[in-house]
Amino acid sequence: MKKKTLFSSLVLVLSLTTVLAGCSNEDKNMITFWTPLTGDDGAYMDQLVKDYNATNPEVKVKHVITADMYTKVSTVLNSGKGVPDLAIIHADRVPGFVKQGVLEPMTDLIKAQPELKQDNYLPQAWSTGTVDGTQYTIPLDIHSNVMYYNKDLLKKYNAESFLDDNVVTIDEMLSLQGKLDEGDYIVNDALLGWVILAQIQNLGGDIQENGKPAVNTPVMKQALESVKKVADAGLMTPFGEDGYLMFQSGNVLFSTDGTWSSTAHAGVEGLNFGVTNVYSAAPDKFTNRSSSHLFTMLKNKDRTEAKVAGIGNFLEFIRTNSLEWAKAGQIVASKQVNESPEYKDYMQSFFTSNEKEIQSLYIYTYEYYPYIAEAVDTYCGDIVRGNVDIDETLQTMQKFVEDKIAEGSSGAK
Amino acid sequence: MKKKLNLAPVFFVGPHVILFAVFVLLPTIYGIYASFTKWNLMNEPVWVGLDNYKTILFNTESTFHTQFQNGLKNTFIFVGLSVPLLIVIPLMIAVALEHKKVKMKNVIQSILYIPGLISISAAALIWLLIFNKQLGITGNIFGSQIAWPTNQPYAWLIIIVITVWGGVGGNMIIYRASISGVAKELYESAELDGAGSIRRFASITLPSIRFPLIYTFVMTTAGAFNVFGQPLMMTDGGPRQSTHVLMMYIRQLAFGNGESIAGMASAMAVLLGLIILVISALQYYVMNRNAA
Repeated sequence: MKKKTLFSSLVLVLSLTTVLAGCSNEDKNMITFWTPLTGDDGAYMDQLVKDYNATNPEVKVKHVITADMYTKVSTVLNSGKGVPDLAIIHADRVPGFVKQGVLEPMTDLIKAQPELKQDNYLPQAWSTGTVDGTQYTIPLDIHSNVMYYNKDLLKKYNAESFLDDNVVTIDEMLSLQGKLDEGDYIVNDALLGWVILAQIQNLGGDIQENGKPAVNTPVMKQALESVKKVADAGLMTPFGEDGYLMFQSGNVLFSTDGTWSSTAHAGVEGLNFGVTNVYSAAPDKFTNRSSSHLFTMLKNKDRTEAKVAGIGNFLEFIRTNSLEWAKAGQIVASKQVNESPEYKDYMQSFFTSNEKEIQSLYIYTYEYYPYIAEAVDTYCGDIVRGNVDIDETLQTMQKFVEDKIAEGSSGAK
Repeated sequence: MKKKLNLAPVFFVGPHVILFAVFVLLPTIYGIYASFTKWNLMNEPVWVGLDNYKTILFNTESTFHTQFQNGLKNTFIFVGLSVPLLIVIPLMIAVALEHKKVKMKNVIQSILYIPGLISISAAALIWLLIFNKQLGITGNIFGSQIAWPTNQPYAWLIIIVITVWGGVGGNMIIYRASISGVAKELYESAELDGAGSIRRFASITLPSIRFPLIYTFVMTTAGAFNVFGQPLMMTDGGPRQSTHVLMMYIRQLAFGNGESIAGMASAMAVLLGLIILVISALQYYVMNRNAA
């Protein structure tokens, strides 16, 4: 009798596992393509994939939007099952992923598609995926921290000259102190962490020294203090208030948010706006801290050659047809697209209009950049608003990054 | 003669046991194992013994120690503020709804229950607009000149408001159901004996719904310790990390920026689990003893 119980529970377990396993049946003739692109971005990517599939390729692409993609990626890589054939990752993930050996080099794929090469893309978008001479990614875009300006307010406050040399300096902004109507502000604090990281470049510094994180540095302090001047002068939107919304409601001259916000700003009735470089602490240099969406192949031994060839075709299609992506507000990485006349209709074409602008799009590629960005994001608001002591907090930030690095795989004793 | 084997219980219990094992037991065991390792979710976990716990509990220099301390402190503040409200308010509403003169009881009940069905992120967006300095009531009606999400004690206030708003319904339904099970005769005879409404509530209602009370108290407390969505959405942990609860740190370590620090995160989670376990057991013990 005991056997029978065992048997029936076994049947139960088996039937359940079959049901569960049924979920992961993969299509041999379909490229599974994971992206973290939620919202409108996902819809534009859907359209691109749809357009590609309409060309009747041998292997079609299935776009899967996964909101929590990086968590899921680590899960599937761990189990080795259900690894997507193609994925989009952010630039700052590349060094870590390569070090952990989870990215497949693009070498063979590039050989089969001669046009997928550095010359055909924005240089930094391409080189972000180059580690020790091996190419691991093909870029889709650069998305950057930029500065929108309210044309009407600039005129009202006689500040149009700020834009003349494409560098709005902190001193220029400070010159408007005491001249604003009540409720108006010069700049908001959107993406403040990115703005600080741009100042580090403007001031000639870096976030690392010989591979060690450099957070508690004179340059970092100077970057924070120069932005703090703006806040101290009462020119920055008040702490805790929605500066992004205040820009849209026409009370703020400059908004330091992302390329992707242009579509949202355009949807605001009566908002007469343009785009320029993020303000600078230096008179002659400007930097727009950027990231990039990159196509990559996670290690997957089941990926067939036919699929790799299919991925190559798809990426070549994207290279030549990704004007659709410009609608999402992003700076398309493919030169064929960003040098085309149609692309000039998009506001973000400003950032590829000349060599200096292209160079201003700065992508940090330091291995531990994500930890540093996290530290800066966590603490910069309170530093800039004068809520905390700057020296003490810089020490905390440095320790924060070092502790996290020490816990990582490479920091293992 | 052998007893005939009855398979029915296996079919009733089996699916639950399997699901429990697959989705709760095994992950829990693995989580506890992970807490003794250095693990980035990608490579093989490296066994480090009690190192993570030592760092979190005793290394006062370490960022993880400060994070754990601050996170735990803020979680306790949240529990202390929210749990009493989530017990008392639903109980009072449930008792009030029992009054003969209250009309449309089910409508009121539904209105109070619906917020619990709305996702925290959607609700938080609405509440953030309500508490927005320019657009919301705080500035326009109360004339408040400060931004609530970035100033204490207002930051806690808005977190508690959204928590109570979303959490009142669930406990209220439990209380209503159990109060309706109390024999009407008890109230009638108490009334004949001259007991006022407060006396009836204290001497009849409360003792009669003892078990639902213990249950909701324990469950609400355990739930409150796991708070995550409300502070994340309403204040993002600010101002100066004073509403940054432990679950937010745990998530950030394991699934935040850059390489995952899942081992440390697991250790924090295990410690949090232990705290919840001890407190729940204590609550149950104390309440049950007093009630018996």
